[in-house]
Amino acid sequence: MSTRFDTRQDKVFDLVNILVLLGFATLTILPFLYVLAASFATEVEIASRPFFLWPNDPTLETYRYIFSTDTFIRSLLVTIGVTVVGTAVQITMTLLMAYPLADPNLVGRGLIMRLILFAMLFSGGMIPMFLVVKGLGLLDSYWALILPLAINPFNLIVIRTFFQQLPGELREAAEIDGAHEFTTFWRIMLPLSKPVIATFSLFYAVAIWNDFMSPLLYISDSSKWTLQMFVRQVTISTDPSTTIGNLDPNYIPPAEGLKFAVIVIATLPIMCIYPFLQKHFAKGVMIGSVKG
Amino acid sequence: MAMTTTPAPDVPVGLDEAPVVPPKPARRKSLMKRLRRAPVLYLMLLPGLAYFAIFKYAPMYGITIAFQNYLPFLGMGGSPWVGFDHFVRLFSGPDFGRLLSNTLILAFLNIVIAFPAPIIVALMLNELRKQMLKKFIQTAIYIPHFLSWAIVSGLTYLLFALDIGPITVLFNDVFGTRVNFLADPDWFRPLIMAQTLWKGTGWGTIIYLAALAGVDKNLYEAANLDGAGRFQQMRHVTIPAITPTVVIMLILNIGNFLDTGFEQIYMLTNSLNREVADVFDTYVYFMGITNGAYSYSTAIGLFKSVVGLILILGANWLAKRFTQSSLF
Amino acid sequence: MFSRRTLLAGTALGAGALGLTACGGGSGSGSGEPLTALKIMAPLLSETAPDPEGQLHKAIEEFVGMPLEITWVPNSSYGDRVTVTMASDNIPHIMVQTGKSAEFVQTATAGGYWDLTDILPEYPNLTPENPDVAHGASINGKTYGVFRLRDAMRASVILRKDWLAKVGLDEPVTTTDLEEIARAFTEEDPAGDGSATYGLILPAWGGYGNNGPYDLWETWHGTANVWKDEGGTLSPAFLAPEFIEANTSMKAIIDAGHTNADYATMDAATWNDPFVKGQGGIIADVSSRGKQLLSLFQEADPEGYGDKVTMVGNLKSPDGTLWSLPTPGYAGYLAIPKSSVQTEEQLATVLGVMDKLSSEEGQRLLNNGIEGVNYEVEDGMSVPIESEEGSLVSSDVSAFAQIGTQSNGYLGLSSKPAGEAEAAMEEKRQATADSDLESAVFNPGAAYVSDAYTQNGAILDQIVVDARLKYLAGQLDEAGLQAELQRWTDSGGQQVIDEMNELYQAGA
Repeated sequence: MSTRFDTRQDKVFDLVNILVLLGFATLTILPFLYVLAASFATEVEIASRPFFLWPNDPTLETYRYIFSTDTFIRSLLVTIGVTVVGTAVQITMTLLMAYPLADPNLVGRGLIMRLILFAMLFSGGMIPMFLVVKGLGLLDSYWALILPLAINPFNLIVIRTFFQQLPGELREAAEIDGAHEFTTFWRIMLPLSKPVIATFSLFYAVAIWNDFMSPLLYISDSSKWTLQMFVRQVTISTDPSTTIGNLDPNYIPPAEGLKFAVIVIATLPIMCIYPFLQKHFAKGVMIGSVKG
Repeated sequence: MAMTTTPAPDVPVGLDEAPVVPPKPARRKSLMKRLRRAPVLYLMLLPGLAYFAIFKYAPMYGITIAFQNYLPFLGMGGSPWVGFDHFVRLFSGPDFGRLLSNTLILAFLNIVIAFPAPIIVALMLNELRKQMLKKFIQTAIYIPHFLSWAIVSGLTYLLFALDIGPITVLFNDVFGTRVNFLADPDWFRPLIMAQTLWKGTGWGTIIYLAALAGVDKNLYEAANLDGAGRFQQMRHVTIPAITPTVVIMLILNIGNFLDTGFEQIYMLTNSLNREVADVFDTYVYFMGITNGAYSYSTAIGLFKSVVGLILILGANWLAKRFTQSSLF
Repeated sequence: MFSRRTLLAGTALGAGALGLTACGGGSGSGSGEPLTALKIMAPLLSETAPDPEGQLHKAIEEFVGMPLEITWVPNSSYGDRVTVTMASDNIPHIMVQTGKSAEFVQTATAGGYWDLTDILPEYPNLTPENPDVAHGASINGKTYGVFRLRDAMRASVILRKDWLAKVGLDEPVTTTDLEEIARAFTEEDPAGDGSATYGLILPAWGGYGNNGPYDLWETWHGTANVWKDEGGTLSPAFLAPEFIEANTSMKAIIDAGHTNADYATMDAATWNDPFVKGQGGIIADVSSRGKQLLSLFQEADPEGYGDKVTMVGNLKSPDGTLWSLPTPGYAGYLAIPKSSVQTEEQLATVLGVMDKLSSEEGQRLLNNGIEGVNYEVEDGMSVPIESEEGSLVSSDVSAFAQIGTQSNGYLGLSSKPAGEAEAAMEEKRQATADSDLESAVFNPGAAYVSDAYTQNGAILDQIVVDARLKYLAGQLDEAGLQAELQRWTDSGGQQVIDEMNELYQAGA
């Protein structure tokens, strides 16, 4: 990031930059604001007004309905728990594996990298994975939501790249000082990788939070439902094939507003994580490390 | 092939990071010495290796389904073998040419437009100095990533609706036309790209911002002292700093070259634009809902994986030749 | 590159891991002993899965005399769950299948499910009431599961009642009437305020023969229903001359501007919007939408909403013949996997339970709940009881209804309509449905599964759907439409016709 810019050219650039970015930000935020507004709106209003940012006739009915089901609260807590633990497990495993692979002197590194790449591209599919999970006795356990996706090869490779970019001198300096490999990892490399750790923790967290296939396949106990399963249950009615499949000719699908409210509650929590992580994206974490 | 933060040519870094990499630098140290310090490293590798063995390689036998007419009930032992039948069916089908060209065109557009966009936006964000503004914009632009394609499609239909959608109205007023964005085959690809850019750019900047955050501030200071202006600093400090990241992302994304995002395309496809909209992923879906076409879809997936592998190896080789970063 | 070393390593990794996990798969865990509990897998269509300790679950267990272990699977990817379950060795005794999927057909014919064709007649409550529906539900004449009865006649035309009054027209009886009403709605300011209005609301509709508005229109003109029996031979309905006739008249309505302009792209999820907003006045869809629209108007206008919506049943062809389009009449089955139910005694136990559940009392439990707890009977209909206990049971009912079959006819109670307007609409709906059913055109080919169709059916259907829409949009003229239909035949359609006829004439 540049330090001081006073020329006219720079000021113009700054202005254009800000305008373009703000424009883009507006485009991205508006639809979500509509979803937010519609979640507080009545059925009639949703059907009659194409796009609005504030409901004329706000109602808390949909939210009240959602919060009244104890499935919602429970699934929310389950999901938070699984996401927190899962992210910790996944990022730890990934970091532990990425660090040795960043060492050019590691015997067998090339082989392992190729195995990882192959695994990234080729997959056996849903059924064998299910059988493996079953064979490990993980069916209906929260670990089935965490372990099968523990290391994302893509993430692994990119983190390794970041580790490789950390100056080799640091590592050698530590070695000269008699430090153990693991100490180097823990005391030096990790603190320098804060932005990377923050980024990929976010990626893993979002992936776990949004994952609905895993709970769907592996979880049978309804008290272990995750938020995504609850959300999908509430919104299935929009699929015409389910209305045809329903017994009662008087069946009325759930309200449109419900669909919006459910979107809000399913995305808002995870969306709010990023702002908290942003401080780790501050620059200058390497001040003073490369001197001398 | 050690990777370094490539410094600006006039900024001293110290030590002997050679820009030209000897073919196998690792062999400098003796095997014994390397193995001796290895135990801890291998210990660290163990959980990961176990993971790959159990959850990635053990299930891989499932790929053989592509060569059978698999029925879950019969299991792999009981399902009949058909060899390359599925692949023959795929390649010789009347739709293959159309599917291939549609998929390739979209893939190409993705690489050329959707891939650079987050990089550019990340660079722009990097130039912002007011932290509050930066934080606000960062959070705002990554919101669409969390909305499902179902919602994005619904919004698209709303905004681009014939005659009455806000964007349609604006467009018609400005250009004096009567466009049918949603039905006209010529607008299909632009719409898809617009959706992809809207939904994915913000999220994509995160990784590049992380890379930019790791750039040593001193490099900027030094460049500034040497009289470098904003754009020169970008050219000599910023861009070289994120090049390794960009290259890796490019190589890895090329592995997904033939993936076009089923949900997104399916929702925008209708009878009138199907000619340009049909891609492998939607085709597989259609085959899947009638046939228990488990094997067929596995075969198509295998085909895409093989292509992806070839492309990655190719991209990696190119990267090694022209830049200093590569995957192996 | 991937050297031999790498390949070796990869295989070693995989094999070692496989050994560790000792993967399952294969035949069931069942034995020949009598069943002590029944394992059921069913899709969940409500938000909360019923509590196994809940009142309703207990009541049902008591009624059938056996513990029930029910796995409620969220509906959105039920098919995937069925797939992995069938590949594993933990298969339930009763598996709900949501439709006649190719996987179900293939598994059934390969011997995965019990063939109940000759066994079902022994059970009084499992004998189907409607033979047309039962035949359509069979697979080439064989019954592989007890089908779940659904309303066979749901086709309707819903109109703005106030608009009809304003333009001075009666409810439509023939398709020609509808064309006239659509014109009037567009040209004669039915809203009374000069706003732009049109007649028929058409959303984008994918798929052929799935009770969409175009299917309705075509059947009403005499194309039959997906397959037409022409003197003992099956021929696709869209190859009948009436198909072109029907679409020509539909095209006339569209070209004249009496429908919404975005019929090719309008999202079906927003179908109600133009109706409610006062932009369009006619919808041709299932009758439950009528009630839905009524309730939307009620929200806006609690007093006068009854005058906004009216509904009629199927329309007659221009020359006065009534061909009603039925639904398949069922939605999936309760199938019994052979790997978990291995002996005939076990089968008898399972069928016995299902038979009980299809009795009047059983149906009431599954579809209404527990009398006195969540509903009361008034005028032979159920009225919900507002209480905490009651709502718990009621929400469980919406789940348990998925296990009900009712193939012997619906013996549960219908719910009493809330208001006067609803009651009137419901009464009318009931009457027209019953009379329409008498002229229902069932799909003669419904029972038959042709291999060629299984392979390419979806793609072939697309040709027809696309051709129809392009013709309506003016991108194809009549000759072009014919050419596309010919292309259907040439790209594998002929094979489907031949196979279907082979099965049809072998006649089951």
